[in-house]
Amino acid sequence: MSTVEVNQVSKSFGSRQAVANVTFTVQGGEVLGLLGPNGSGKSTLMKTIVGIIKPDAGSIQVLGTNVATDPVTVKRMIGYVPEAPRLYEFLSGVEYLDFVADVHGLAKGERQERILEFLKALDLEGRENELIHGYSQGMKQKLAIAAALLHHPRVLILDEPLNALDPRSARIVKEVIHKFRNNGVPTIFSTHVLEIADAICDRIIIMYDGRIIAEGTTQELKTKAGSAGSTLEEVFLKLTGTSDTREIVEALGR
Amino acid sequence: MNSSTVWHLAIVLTKSQLRSNQRRKFLAKWFSNPQIIIILDALLVAILGISGYFLVSKIPQDLLETFGRLEVEGLIGIPTITTFMIILFGILSELSQPIQSTSTDLVNWLPISPSEYVLGSIISLSYTYSFLLAFFLSIALGPAVYFGHSLILVTSAIMGLVSLFIGSSAVELLRAVTNRISSSFYRKSGRSGIFVRLSLTIVVLVFFQLLFSGRVVVSLLGGLTHTVATIWYVPVMWPSLVVQTLSASIDLAPVGFGLLSLGFMFALFGLAIGMRRAYWVPVPVSIRLSTHPYRSSFSRFQIPGLDAAESAIIRKDLCSLTRRREMARFIAIPFVLAASLWISVYPFGSSSQGLGPATIIPLYLIPVAIFCEVLSMTSIGQEGSAIWNLYVAPIDAHKLVRAKMLLTIMMGTLFTVALLLAVAFLSKQAPGQFVNLLLLGLVVVLEESALGICIAGKFPDFRETVRSRYVSLWGSILGTMLGLVVAGATAAPILLADTFQIAFPPTLIGIVIGFLVFVALWKLAIRQVNGLLTEIQV
Repeated sequence: MSTVEVNQVSKSFGSRQAVANVTFTVQGGEVLGLLGPNGSGKSTLMKTIVGIIKPDAGSIQVLGTNVATDPVTVKRMIGYVPEAPRLYEFLSGVEYLDFVADVHGLAKGERQERILEFLKALDLEGRENELIHGYSQGMKQKLAIAAALLHHPRVLILDEPLNALDPRSARIVKEVIHKFRNNGVPTIFSTHVLEIADAICDRIIIMYDGRIIAEGTTQELKTKAGSAGSTLEEVFLKLTGTSDTREIVEALGR
Repeated sequence: MNSSTVWHLAIVLTKSQLRSNQRRKFLAKWFSNPQIIIILDALLVAILGISGYFLVSKIPQDLLETFGRLEVEGLIGIPTITTFMIILFGILSELSQPIQSTSTDLVNWLPISPSEYVLGSIISLSYTYSFLLAFFLSIALGPAVYFGHSLILVTSAIMGLVSLFIGSSAVELLRAVTNRISSSFYRKSGRSGIFVRLSLTIVVLVFFQLLFSGRVVVSLLGGLTHTVATIWYVPVMWPSLVVQTLSASIDLAPVGFGLLSLGFMFALFGLAIGMRRAYWVPVPVSIRLSTHPYRSSFSRFQIPGLDAAESAIIRKDLCSLTRRREMARFIAIPFVLAASLWISVYPFGSSSQGLGPATIIPLYLIPVAIFCEVLSMTSIGQEGSAIWNLYVAPIDAHKLVRAKMLLTIMMGTLFTVALLLAVAFLSKQAPGQFVNLLLLGLVVVLEESALGICIAGKFPDFRETVRSRYVSLWGSILGTMLGLVVAGATAAPILLADTFQIAFPPTLIGIVIGFLVFVALWKLAIRQVNGLLTEIQV
């Protein structure tokens, strides 16, 4: 049974169509990579799945619950990291995590254990009592990831979660995603780093101009692009029609 | 120092100041170009100057001498008031900067020297706030020409310009000092530093608001011209003393004070450059609230009757109110309002025994209503771009409305009781009246909290700019007007009790009206917030 079903979803902002008639499903324990150039509609699509943007058309089901009719139940099941998350900078790191734990109704003992685990794993130990305002971008990103995973989510929606992370933390996050996958949690994951997508995604969707232009495993995409021996980057550039970069590079390098 | 760099930086900083507060497209179009300030200055001088001349010519002959004397006093006061005003605006602007925009990162990696930055910033500040000087001079222009005080007017204008630069240098100096002091202070002081900052911000806001209340300004201006002998050693007064000694025809004194003024202006400028050079890169403030290892204590304080999520939102909003520099002005509102209203109405020196309900109820209910209304209608917009945290949280509109409203009710109740104690002390209320006023105040707190959430849900403004309102312009106007109407309707039975004979106790009628209004507004608030939660606004 599919755990996330996106069915003919469209969303426009004024005259600009951000998402156009998108349909896909994600199975339990599957990591789906969303790729696409800037402005291709990935973040908008993710926000509609989380239930914070209302689609103009189509429907979304998360673990059998309709996002439009019961968004609160869906939000309880989802762990979401937005692109460039803005946190409450006037709270300390642990106050923020406590806030998220309270909002999700985590019991005190469990919360303490989980928060300590995340602080240690993501190298935030020793800085947890400082106001978030003084954190680096990477530390804020780690905190947002910890907050998304704190309540044992049953679905992960991660919008460029590895942005600004140091190599050690990025590796930990990738392994955490792997662990969630082994536990049957589906993950929708967007990134611009194609090597990462190649390494951790079971299936990839390439979006362009709000539409899905290709879908499949890395190998299937390479075959579709007619270049079985090439890298995912070459496939991506070919499919999105942005491969002709030579003139731009020459102009910039002058 | 490269003059071209200074010039271009000044233009960029002026555009930045002009555009940081723009909310509407038609304003953006008009105010995006720095030349608009010269046009506004010229318009002010032309319109107010010409109309001032005609108004003076209509003054009866027997009052002309007194008016002429007042006009000279005004010309003497212009340079000093200009300096005070620009410092006031500068401080208010600094205090209302959102925490995210206090860094001057951009200039750190551009090839600009501290002296070029300071001069560019001073020119930009002086130019942007030149409308203050233009306003004062345009009021004085007509009478000065009429009375033949053109030389004093020109001197006042020149010294006003010097004062503009003195005020701008002082603001630049303050910025550098506050950057440095606040960074080192907060690093050492932690939680107590936050409390000290909040208290100091409120004191500064209340002090400056009261300083510029009508009564105080009039007595200050009057005092300035009569106490020259005792104020000559106050450098900020030197530009005014040039005008004063010139009007009194004291030989050489204008030249002496003029040179002193210029010296003071260059000294402040040099000091500002020195400070900026020393503390060029602002140190990121890193406030540690505790040195203990993590123990889940934040959620220990559960509010009775509320679930964990609602209590967490209230605690988070309380931290926002007390820890964010730009939120301090909302806590200062009741103090400023109550003090301003009472200073302008209270019969100092005479008996206050005669203050009846028609005077006391507005003086008591207006600050309560406006405080609760403002706190409540800004409660959603103040989330800024961090609002996504609430959108992704598994909470519905009921919970969000209850949490947001309860914080206002808690703060409003505290303020109502404190203000009522002061009112009872000043107007010597009987215990029965005290209870009536308390009940009335609490009902108004409920109504305004619910009304504020309706406005906050319908007209939120999530932009984080200097002096953010957190609610749209129309929302704030509508909210304030409706807030006063609602408070007035609740108090009406008591205010009209003497005129119309009513069978029921007027306070009881007021409470029933207030409660019905509250229930209606509560339902409307849920509907508005439900609509808001369907789609994220930022």
